[in-house]
Amino acid sequence: MKLITFLGALLLSLQAQAFDLQQLSDQLAKPSVIHGSFTQEKHLRALPQPLVSKGTFVLAKDHGLLWLLKTPLQQDYRISAQGIARRDANGWQLLPNKSAGAEQNRLFLAVLQGDSSGLQRDFELQLQGEATQWKLTLIPRSLLLKQVFTRINIEGGALVQTIELLETQGDSTVLRMQDSTADQPLSDAEQHDFAQ
Amino acid sequence: MRSNTILPSERQLPRLFLILLVAVLALAGWQWRHGAPLSANLMELVPGSTPNALEQQAEQRMQEPLNREMLVLVGHTDRQQAVAVARQLGERWQASSLFEKVQWNLQADLPALREQLLRGRLAMLSAKDRAQLIEHPDAFIQQRVQALFDPFTGFSLVPSQEDWLGLTGRIQNSQPQRGAVQLDIGSGALIADADGKSWVLLRARTTGNAFDMHLPLRVADLLQASRAEADAQGAQLLAASGLLYAANGQQQATREITWVGGGATVGILLLLLLAFRRWRVLLAFVPVLVGMLFGAVACVALFGHMHVMTLVLGSSLIGVAVDYPLHYLSKSWSLQPWRSWPALRLTLPGLSLSLATSCIGYLALAWTPFPALTQIAVFSAAGLVGAYLSAVCLLPALLNGVELRPAHWPLRIAERLWQLRAALLKRVPSAVLLALVLLFCAGGLWQLNTKNDIRQWIGAPPQLLQEAQAVARITGFQPTSQFFLVRAPDQPQLLERLDTLGQRLDQLVNTGKLQGYLALNQLVSRPAEQQQVRDALNRLPQHWQPLLDLGVPASALQAEIAQLQALPTEDIDAALAGPLAEPWRTLWLGPVDGGVAAMVSLQGLNNPALLHAQAADLPGVQLVDRLGDLNRVFAATQISAAELKLLSCGLIVLLLIMPFGVGGALRIVALPLLAALCSLASLGWLGQPLTLFSLFGLLLVTAISVDYAILMREQIGGAAVSLLGTLLAALTTWLSFGLLAVSSTPAVSNFGLSVSLGLAFSFMLAPWAGQQKHAL
Repeated sequence: MKLITFLGALLLSLQAQAFDLQQLSDQLAKPSVIHGSFTQEKHLRALPQPLVSKGTFVLAKDHGLLWLLKTPLQQDYRISAQGIARRDANGWQLLPNKSAGAEQNRLFLAVLQGDSSGLQRDFELQLQGEATQWKLTLIPRSLLLKQVFTRINIEGGALVQTIELLETQGDSTVLRMQDSTADQPLSDAEQHDFAQ
Repeated sequence: MRSNTILPSERQLPRLFLILLVAVLALAGWQWRHGAPLSANLMELVPGSTPNALEQQAEQRMQEPLNREMLVLVGHTDRQQAVAVARQLGERWQASSLFEKVQWNLQADLPALREQLLRGRLAMLSAKDRAQLIEHPDAFIQQRVQALFDPFTGFSLVPSQEDWLGLTGRIQNSQPQRGAVQLDIGSGALIADADGKSWVLLRARTTGNAFDMHLPLRVADLLQASRAEADAQGAQLLAASGLLYAANGQQQATREITWVGGGATVGILLLLLLAFRRWRVLLAFVPVLVGMLFGAVACVALFGHMHVMTLVLGSSLIGVAVDYPLHYLSKSWSLQPWRSWPALRLTLPGLSLSLATSCIGYLALAWTPFPALTQIAVFSAAGLVGAYLSAVCLLPALLNGVELRPAHWPLRIAERLWQLRAALLKRVPSAVLLALVLLFCAGGLWQLNTKNDIRQWIGAPPQLLQEAQAVARITGFQPTSQFFLVRAPDQPQLLERLDTLGQRLDQLVNTGKLQGYLALNQLVSRPAEQQQVRDALNRLPQHWQPLLDLGVPASALQAEIAQLQALPTEDIDAALAGPLAEPWRTLWLGPVDGGVAAMVSLQGLNNPALLHAQAADLPGVQLVDRLGDLNRVFAATQISAAELKLLSCGLIVLLLIMPFGVGGALRIVALPLLAALCSLASLGWLGQPLTLFSLFGLLLVTAISVDYAILMREQIGGAAVSLLGTLLAALTTWLSFGLLAVSSTPAVSNFGLSVSLGLAFSFMLAPWAGQQKHAL
């Protein structure tokens, strides 16, 4: 009972403090290009240690996301309005639009770009903290989505720092984005990658 | 005078007829005890050439969704609005009690899906994945490692620790794409994006089928109301269903029966009143009513029910049935004072001949392979007998004591026409006229082209067709009416045959000639193939080092292999049990005549001719192409119809030799034939195609117009009076058949047009029937 009153008070105070979803959206949508590196940890329930992979990413507001996996294996991905593509020896290959997968990727982009209106449709959003350090919790609304995720936690400051996906099955994935910078424009190679 | 009194036999006739009438009425009452024995099933009208029960069963299975399901797309520029409107619509329709099931969102039963995927890991693996596992196990393991790191593979239904080898994920990903519709994971709705709008798919399954007499209309009404509601919310509805065609067909039939029947009735009654100027002459309509009653009773007695199309075409019988009383009523212009019984006595031979020739003409239709025409033939022939009997037995008694003093103007018109003809003949001899007519015929026939298509039976408004096309385009669901029927002695051989057929169909898909297909071998593989997977899995431990490197415990992998080895071999029945099998379920026909059978359904076909080649040399594989078969039957029937026409003419000649002699009989039959030829030529000049139905129309008109030639040849009461009688008969017949020409069903309107033309020419040519030297 005490906890609920505490949370209630906290939420009220958050509203009063006025760092709200709109501001977060605006803040995340500001930079047009973000470069950075990432560490991905896949925690599988049955494995003692997580599957860790590393790489770099480029998030461009008008184009989408390049996700370049470097270790332990090399694989490039691109998420854009057209869908998700994987690079092989012949260049970018658009993956078949498997309905549920495509939807998940739309979510992923929405998260990174702070498109809260897109997220609010499917999730209940709870925002805590302030502009320099905030935490956004996404709880699925629909029955179907609840069967897949229990929760998604996103933390960050000026930019998104970690995304944690907690699956209903007990597995989870943590994406940590480090050294993100909004200073560099798209390189020619990157522009080329988005253009194809 | 003896001829003006009533014979004793004539006193008995009305009584006997009334007894018959009461009996028929009682029979009709019994037939209608459960409501109207009417049917609107279009497929009952076309030739049932299906030779075996299995094919028929398969066909019914394929048609069932068309006749019971409705696909609706709810479109809105805003995705959320579209979902909201679809939800509202779905709830309203579900509450309407018209539908067994209304589905606008996917309530996936994930535990059941998981269970099926795990159980089907050997049997449901696609051919491509199976080949990789057997031939390139290293690559298979490598792909699995990649997938474990891939953040974008989408969620897999089965957690990794239950399926380290990733077989369920592969099965999930190899499921055939179902059109352009995608799952909106938030709402569970199925959505397609097109034309700047989001379209939510809603499927509704009705409680009855399209051939129920009331359901389609209620569904169409509900749709219309929903459309208005959606409009108010800025949303657009697109619907496609066989039910809508049925509803439209029924509304159209009702409208046309009203127009044709009503129009003919009003026209004929007016004509009777204007010509004979006695209220009681309206009793001449009694034979029409009796005819309708006899026709309906005979039809239901023979076929169990009556089709609405029979009613539409049958309503034209009104004009033919009224000819019998007209035969003796029109004698009032020459026979004064006119008395009913003597007038009848005078015209009875002609009446009887007319009944015989008309019946021959109608019954010739019954020998065509079209159930529709058989029904119409039976309806009409029974109707004519009824009309004849009432005209001969009952009507004279009803008109007893009536003295007809007909108006003079019709006779003056007939006299004027006769004079015109005489004047024309004075300048241009008959032989020259004949040559001109033949020239006209040759020119017209030169331009005549034929057209036969089952679609002529359906007068679907363009809006329905456009909507159905839009639904097909947006969803990507383009079911074709053709399908393959595959038979084999047992399940493994059936799957093998499906594999062979599938390889050929894949080629068509790859070259863009076919959009896709659905076959059971996509769902479950042969027992031998399942065994191959088991063997390959046994060899896998030599290749799975990369998985061990990730930290996957060797014991877990060992346990999984042991579990996979223990999975029982799945057969078709087992594979069809789970939720993933839903699209395939209708394809399985199960054990039949000592073997098993299944269907292969097709999507988005461009060229049906290609399909025949696919099945040609495959044992047990048969293409079922009902539409194509029907169109071929149409073309073949056209020839047999022409033969029937000649045969019926031959019969009529034989019948007429007795009263008119060989020369007279030939002449009487030649005139309707010439009239038919002129009508054909006119179709050519008018740019109208010759269809099977126009040919049937001409077949009929030959029989009817023999009557006119007989009337003119007998010339009872003088040439002008006979011409007037012919004119009246032709006018009443035309009033009912001609109105068919306005029908929006191409088949019916074609029929009406050719009969109208035939009647006009028959009337014009009838005076050349010559004059019979009467012995009396």
